[in-house]
Amino acid sequence: MSQIRLSFDIGGTFTDFVLQDPERGRIRFWKTLSTPHAPEKAVVRGVKELLAAEGVNPADVGMVLHATTVATNAILERKGSKTAMITTEGFRDVLLLGRQKRYSTYNMHLAKPDPLIKRRDIFELSERVYLRGHEARAPEQAKIDALLTRIAEAGYEAVAVCLLHSYADPSHERLIRTRAEALGLELVLSLSSDVSPRYREYERSSTVTANAYVKPIVARYVDRLEKALKAEGLTADLYIMQSNGGLVSPELAADFPVRIVESGPAAGVLMCRAVGAEEGIKDLLTFDMGGTTAKLGAIDNGEPAILPTFEVDQVQYTKGSGLPLNISAIELLEIGAGGGSIATPHLGGIRIGPESAGSEPGPACYGNGGTKPTVTDANLVLGYLNPGTFNGGNMSLDLEAAREAIRLHLAEPLGLSIEEAALGIHLMATANMERALRIVSVERGRDPRDYTLVGFGGAGPVHAARLARALHVPQLILPRGAGVGSAVGLLAADPKVDYAMTCPVRLAEGAGATVKALRDDLRAKADADLDRLAANGARRHRLMASLRYVGQGYEISVEMPDPDLPEAEFLEAACARFGAAYAKTYGYHDPARPIEAIDWSFEAVMPIGAGLNAPDRLGEGDSRIGTRKGWFETTGPVETAIHDRYRMVPGTPVIGPCVIEEAETTILLLPGDRAEISSCGNLVITIDAEADTAAQSMEGAAA
Amino acid sequence: MTITPITQSLVWNTLVSIAEEMGSTLRRTAFSEAVREADDFSTGVFDRHGRLLSQGNFTPGHLGSMPAVVETVSSMYPGESLKPGDAIVLNDSGLGSGHFPDFYMVTPAFVDGDFSGWVVNIAHHVDVGGAAPGSQKVIGVTEAYQEGLRILPIKLVREGAFDAELLRMITANVRIPAAVEGDLAAQRNANEVGVDRFAELLRSVGRETLDAAVDAILDASEKRMREAISEIPDGTYSFDDWLDGIGEGETGLIPVAVDVTVSGDGMVIDFSRSGDQVAAAINAYFNYTRAHGFFAVKVFTDPELPQNEGGLRAIEVRAREGCFFNPKFPAPSGGRAAIQIRIFELINGAMAQALPDRVMAAYSHWSNPILSGTDDDTGERFIYYDLIFGGYGARHGADGLEGTAPVINCANIPVEVHETHNPVIIHRLALQADTGGAGQYRGGCGIVKEVELLASKASLTLLGDRHVKPPHGLFGGEAGTLASSTLLRGGEEIALISKQMVDLQAGDILRLQLAGAGGFGPAGDRDPAAIENDIADGFVTELCAARDYA
Repeated sequence: MSQIRLSFDIGGTFTDFVLQDPERGRIRFWKTLSTPHAPEKAVVRGVKELLAAEGVNPADVGMVLHATTVATNAILERKGSKTAMITTEGFRDVLLLGRQKRYSTYNMHLAKPDPLIKRRDIFELSERVYLRGHEARAPEQAKIDALLTRIAEAGYEAVAVCLLHSYADPSHERLIRTRAEALGLELVLSLSSDVSPRYREYERSSTVTANAYVKPIVARYVDRLEKALKAEGLTADLYIMQSNGGLVSPELAADFPVRIVESGPAAGVLMCRAVGAEEGIKDLLTFDMGGTTAKLGAIDNGEPAILPTFEVDQVQYTKGSGLPLNISAIELLEIGAGGGSIATPHLGGIRIGPESAGSEPGPACYGNGGTKPTVTDANLVLGYLNPGTFNGGNMSLDLEAAREAIRLHLAEPLGLSIEEAALGIHLMATANMERALRIVSVERGRDPRDYTLVGFGGAGPVHAARLARALHVPQLILPRGAGVGSAVGLLAADPKVDYAMTCPVRLAEGAGATVKALRDDLRAKADADLDRLAANGARRHRLMASLRYVGQGYEISVEMPDPDLPEAEFLEAACARFGAAYAKTYGYHDPARPIEAIDWSFEAVMPIGAGLNAPDRLGEGDSRIGTRKGWFETTGPVETAIHDRYRMVPGTPVIGPCVIEEAETTILLLPGDRAEISSCGNLVITIDAEADTAAQSMEGAAA
Repeated sequence: MTITPITQSLVWNTLVSIAEEMGSTLRRTAFSEAVREADDFSTGVFDRHGRLLSQGNFTPGHLGSMPAVVETVSSMYPGESLKPGDAIVLNDSGLGSGHFPDFYMVTPAFVDGDFSGWVVNIAHHVDVGGAAPGSQKVIGVTEAYQEGLRILPIKLVREGAFDAELLRMITANVRIPAAVEGDLAAQRNANEVGVDRFAELLRSVGRETLDAAVDAILDASEKRMREAISEIPDGTYSFDDWLDGIGEGETGLIPVAVDVTVSGDGMVIDFSRSGDQVAAAINAYFNYTRAHGFFAVKVFTDPELPQNEGGLRAIEVRAREGCFFNPKFPAPSGGRAAIQIRIFELINGAMAQALPDRVMAAYSHWSNPILSGTDDDTGERFIYYDLIFGGYGARHGADGLEGTAPVINCANIPVEVHETHNPVIIHRLALQADTGGAGQYRGGCGIVKEVELLASKASLTLLGDRHVKPPHGLFGGEAGTLASSTLLRGGEEIALISKQMVDLQAGDILRLQLAGAGGFGPAGDRDPAAIENDIADGFVTELCAARDYA
């Protein structure tokens, strides 16, 4: 098989490509405008251009990797298929009720997000699985047939099935699928016991409904894409990125499309992991800041942190306001703080967001009609950004418009100078991200002093060094190719599947056999999926359990010892691991308390030796290209050195305060920071341990 | 010392994040379902003068009470007299937040050896002893001495370690000692997190800057609150209603009333016209009343106003001593959670005259039943704690929200979680058609839930309302339908009153039907398309649509 690999990530504005040819030592980035109505068109155009530019024959490409927002967009825009839901009689309203909590405590006038389907689309079936007390009551075949026929005749294309306790006993859900097949109905079914066999009926209903809602659309998209690529002569296997950072076949993605909702952002985190691997660093915090949001994540010991659930379509990125999906996803905390976030006076202080100028009209300095002061406007006024070379020189920025927006809407109302107000915006935006990064790190048991921060996205690197200082992160990496981060990340991904299920088990004598049986069940499913991928090779397996003290309501995810160990040994090791994880997160643990497992998940990875392994071009000569007035304190500007990243060479560090410019972003170093280009082309920055920026900036501001 | 807006913002941001981080620690390590599932807890940071600086956005029921607790504790245990790692605990109804299950833990924050402030958290414990499991029995409890363990401030934690003797005394008096002990540990850890972060803040800005920033924040909050109150037309606005359930039908009604006086930039909320305190565990101690008064004012002024002392200065809450909203000890109060939405509704009803575009019709109320006994399969005691939330009243421009938590902002508990951990079967959880009050905007629907007991016996404490007087409509909107609680036993239907306690046996089914919420505006003005949609979605039947919207 040829070593040449092609990856592409379809975003809202651009479709990004990377072509990697290890034999020739080439790595090439490419961008085309996206075609949202038919995303594969931009793909075909970009592929043609890129292959032509590199002189590569399509048939020589060995592997094609893809991250997509097709499932996400169908959900966000409520443009999925006409979807019905079948649920247990008596529980029609589980999906509409949700968990019933207001996402904003003091707002009694909020609105719930639009559900994907209405109450009229939800149908009850007489059946019940009981955990105890009664024998299960199976649904009658005639009733299933009548209901399915009625749904088909009403014009539904997709059906979500979510019956109570189907995670424990899926037989009733399977009976419905069997009948749909026997009747030959043109309905695309999704069963909750397949998509997410975990307890908590609302979250499972929400997950399977989302899956059903996008399934026909994703299936059609994948089909069109494969045909279009084949028509271009690309015969290599296509792999699609899931939210958990693993690649799967197009068939599997089409079966479980809800697993690919966070496809692109997951790939971005994998890019960070690959960069960490190049630099020999295994513990990373990731920071991706774009125009409207910032996303914070973590990689522990070389593995991106995976959470068992996440929310899609939140209201202003508020926890609890979106649709929960019980799908494993790379841990990312998203907040409404991007370059376009608008600053307003609030109670005598400065508030950033949640409103954003987005890309239309964008910050005032874009000159597209934006008049409100944004984070990007502040960074321009402070001298951090170069008005002439923004976005690779494709845009110029209007400094006067930025100053005027800040003066009118912030400086005057608060009685500040324009620069003071701009510095306030910059510091407050950073403080918002600090709060989010603190949640991802300290609150989740990660000591920032042991981690390296990776900053990317167009707006991230200008805040990253300050963010690192605030949390005492000693080192920062700004990778090359950060502007096409997700497409780069695809190259660093392995085929991977995971399966989870709920099975409450107390970690006590007798548990061993249960654990072994459920591990076997999960492993069989995962291996069957990997068998469907063309590649075959060594597999890495991992059994995780979510554990808690008996009687608690929240669990901690812990990797389990081998269930094939003698039971006593297995239990002792499992309890010890939980104790260590609990103590790491909460500072104490109680070895005497009984422990129970709730959810189990099994992961199978097929390492394919992926990686970036192609050096970037390295510069030569003096990287310093000039100076600008930069504001770091309210007391006045300092003449700040400007460097060109592409001229930096290994062994010749650059010391802050300074600005380092590159095509898609700008890097700001604070006094005492030391940056050097590594042999792989990444910018590695040592944050000055002497200076305490949090104190310094506050004191400076208070003076 | 003058403080720039930048410093002020950074200090404020950090103070809020400290309270939030304490909260996430507490929630994730708690055993009590009220804490971990229902967010029935609070966290707060105070300066060394006892001023409330920030509070986590958890339950609103503690907002008004926390400053009073810190005042009490600091008068008994001046901060300087304590040692790092000490913590004071209390759960008294009058001193605290109105019922014994709420344990306060107040911890002095020492920074480099100097007493510098307080961090506080409150958690609703699963049980504190008394007449019924869960310690919230209403009828038959006539004085607080029947409600379990009462703790006036004690130093339960000494330099980081629990006082073993006091702890033994506490755990001896509660039904699930391991859970109470675990939750006390969770509370201690949350405060330790708070102290560490507070120290970090203080070291980074210095004591003087912190003091000045706090002054600026409190003043700005007060100013904003006063501005918002100024926008409300001056006048006195009154509203009257009834609570039910401490006796059969009309005999169990408690008259409740409020007079809200807005004058200039200040506001007085007076509950004195309400009836006297009652010999049932439903009285609202004044701290609790005041907390929900503050909550309501925030809703009608600026929901995003910071939770600090400054914002509260413009508001005075009053209630005659001995009345239902300011009872004298030993008035019992275990079930007082049932009335928090009703305090909001009273103020909401009064404000309808002044702010017709910002109020809503009455809520369909909620139900908080507790079922407890021994699980025959495991031999262990179980407490089935449930939260059933109905719909919101309709409001200007919108139908009432379906099924959403009332003032207390909790998540419900999944059916599958309940059935996994308790010997119960839940047969039904469904919105009921034709229950929401008709109107130009329709009230949210009532909800029915049916729970069957599998254990051989258990005791049930009900905490519901609106069984006698339905949720009212506004501006010509209709009232919702009444709530009911029914015991189905051997083919027989036994009507229960909303706050009854009753023993159940295996096979009994409890059916809780919540009221429908009130409508807003005349039904004749409803958009015909909205009526059609309601019929298609089954919120309203064709029969009732023809009757109500003719």
